[in-house]
Amino acid sequence: MMGMQINGLGLVGGFGCGKEELLSVLEKGVTPVSQAGLRDHLLPLFQADTAPLEKYLNKRALRRIDHFSRLALLGAFEALEDAGAPEFARGRLGVVIGSGFGALNTTFDFLDTVIDDGDGCASPTAFSNSVHNAAAAHISMQLNLTGPSLTVSQFDQSFVSGLLSARQWLSEGRVDAVLLGVVDEYCQVLGYCWERYLGRQPGSKMRPLDFDRISAIPAEGAAFFLLQPATGSGPKYAIIDKAVMGQLWGGRPGLIAGEPLILGCEGHPLNGRIYRQQLSSHLPVACYTPLYGASPVTPGFDLAVAALSLKRGKMFPSADRGGDYYSGSVVTEPRQNNRLTCLRYGFAGEYAVISLKGEG
Amino acid sequence: MKNHPVAISGAGCLCAAGMTLDESFSAMLRGERNPKPPVAFYSSHTEKFPVFEIRAPLPVPGNDVELLRTTRLLFCAVEEALADAGLEPEELGELRVGVCVGTTVGSAMNNEDFYRSFRACAEPAMTAIERYLRSNPAAALVRRYRLDGPCQTVVNACSSGTDAIGLGAAWIRSGLCDIALVGGADELCRTTYNGFASLMIADPEPCKPFSSRRKGLNLGEGAGIMILESDTFLKKRDKRARGYLLGYGSAVDAYHLTAPHPEGEGLQRALAECLATGGITAEKVAFINSHGTGTPDNDRTESRVLGKLFPATPFVATKCFTGHTLGAAGAIEAVLTLASLEHQLLPGNVGLGIPDSGLPVHPVADNLAIHGSVALSESLAFGGNNSALLLGLEVG
Repeated sequence: MMGMQINGLGLVGGFGCGKEELLSVLEKGVTPVSQAGLRDHLLPLFQADTAPLEKYLNKRALRRIDHFSRLALLGAFEALEDAGAPEFARGRLGVVIGSGFGALNTTFDFLDTVIDDGDGCASPTAFSNSVHNAAAAHISMQLNLTGPSLTVSQFDQSFVSGLLSARQWLSEGRVDAVLLGVVDEYCQVLGYCWERYLGRQPGSKMRPLDFDRISAIPAEGAAFFLLQPATGSGPKYAIIDKAVMGQLWGGRPGLIAGEPLILGCEGHPLNGRIYRQQLSSHLPVACYTPLYGASPVTPGFDLAVAALSLKRGKMFPSADRGGDYYSGSVVTEPRQNNRLTCLRYGFAGEYAVISLKGEG
Repeated sequence: MKNHPVAISGAGCLCAAGMTLDESFSAMLRGERNPKPPVAFYSSHTEKFPVFEIRAPLPVPGNDVELLRTTRLLFCAVEEALADAGLEPEELGELRVGVCVGTTVGSAMNNEDFYRSFRACAEPAMTAIERYLRSNPAAALVRRYRLDGPCQTVVNACSSGTDAIGLGAAWIRSGLCDIALVGGADELCRTTYNGFASLMIADPEPCKPFSSRRKGLNLGEGAGIMILESDTFLKKRDKRARGYLLGYGSAVDAYHLTAPHPEGEGLQRALAECLATGGITAEKVAFINSHGTGTPDNDRTESRVLGKLFPATPFVATKCFTGHTLGAAGAIEAVLTLASLEHQLLPGNVGLGIPDSGLPVHPVADNLAIHGSVALSESLAFGGNNSALLLGLEVG
């Protein structure tokens, strides 16, 4: 496949905003967990703050933009700034966004107006902003981008699905670069569903390598990447040279022996059992989800960690160091590497594999 | 810039006009339509906005009530398209098959009953959420046939179906899969009904795209599917293509969240890319299936663009027969475009009445014989998305 350079990162999550704040928690190995209200109690949450967006847009511009789109905008602005604000013809920068659930708060805000005020008084503003591609639209409008724009939504496979389209556009020469992002937000309904499925969790540190234990903490955020074709000039971070989505009934994902894996497990036993069944204990693994939680954005954060690791030539120690519950090889010390693979299994046997190499 | 044409080996569609592609197209040629206030859900609007609802029971593939209606509609269209292509559903799992499907309602976690109960501090059962989680259209199709190829649910609002077809064709060209099930599906939904009413772009009468009396759209529901295949695989199966996807283009306006750019800047660029990737000039296009929602803004923009780029090309707005099926619209319109090419007949726009004299060009009022092998189908969408497909009977 055609390689794609990662030339910019735009990150906002429970760890903060920007790659420096992600690097900081990667070094420390821990992110403080916030709490969000859910009816009569609090729910642990990796909550994302979009206040830094005021660096890029004034309050007036932000007035009618909801939290979901603000997350996406912040990710997009950060990625472009991190890339050194490269100039593209306005039609030659594509936008691809994945979202597991879309603008949930605005979706329910719209229903609030229907329930409270009647069908005839539903809010047009809330309806307009509740469509899944609203975030992509705000990005196009605020950055004045007129190239192709795509939003995809298929839960935790949204990011890799979007990545496939970004690669397609670059390889066809439809665009010179793609702003690829994944964004999702927390809302109370999601919190309710979370607790119905997983029970109330104390919010202590996630232990995702304990595949049979529920330790997931919900999260929100955005991860954006400026992707360009891998050409003569080196990438700012790394080159994605493989991106595959598949199903276990079609065969196991092809993994390279000895190549370290960044696992997307999040403390859900439903897919934890698949990691336990599928993983070879010989492969060195690391998992950083305890730093940014469980959400459809996690695959984006995993890719960002891989890119940052390859940039510095060393993997960060896993945020879950393993223990009695995991007998395989875990990266517990900084480890030199020029290749990394992000592996994520879904609940029904679907998987995503994204492999990267460093500049060297 | 010119893309390799991608073979269309099968097509399927169901909508208010008919339960199959043939039924739908025949009904359109007869000028039949029957929009009525919704039966599937209650509405307290004083004006009962008519909708194009599928009132007949769904065929067997659509009978799984554990799935959202959107996904059940999708399954019906896929089974029709597979049969048309001469593919057995059971054999798909052994082949390299991708799935790219557009939707809006099918990906929205907006079950109103569940939310009402949640708001009332009750403990709503998870039935509605589980149905939503298992109904993601592309993922559900992958599970149904145990496929292992690329899988994508496109949520580009009303251009989703068009984009899904264009994106799936690229997978075939690049060798990601040998077969791609592409299209779109959407069901009627109280939330979108209230949403379009709130925007004051729903017509309280049957919709009248490009008419002087147009007041907006009528919602509809349905699904449209194409089976795309690589040349090699089609040859191996000793099958003939029904048609070809010659070109695809998309571009955004970067202008407004819901309104199109007045001059259709994004649409013009999408059309330019579509023609260029098809290696076709505008005068070769026999007809156009417009987006034609019946909203004042959409039709004005579209007419301006078509008048500028295709001043003498006949066009139709098939939403006057199907309603606006949102994420399915582009896909349904693409398969209807293929049917028109095959029959060399364009259905006349029912309900046009007096065309809007302020618009430079208008759709055909009566059925029209066409002469040509290439046609366009275009979509405009919330978010400023614009997309177009170029379809042909021959490689071009």
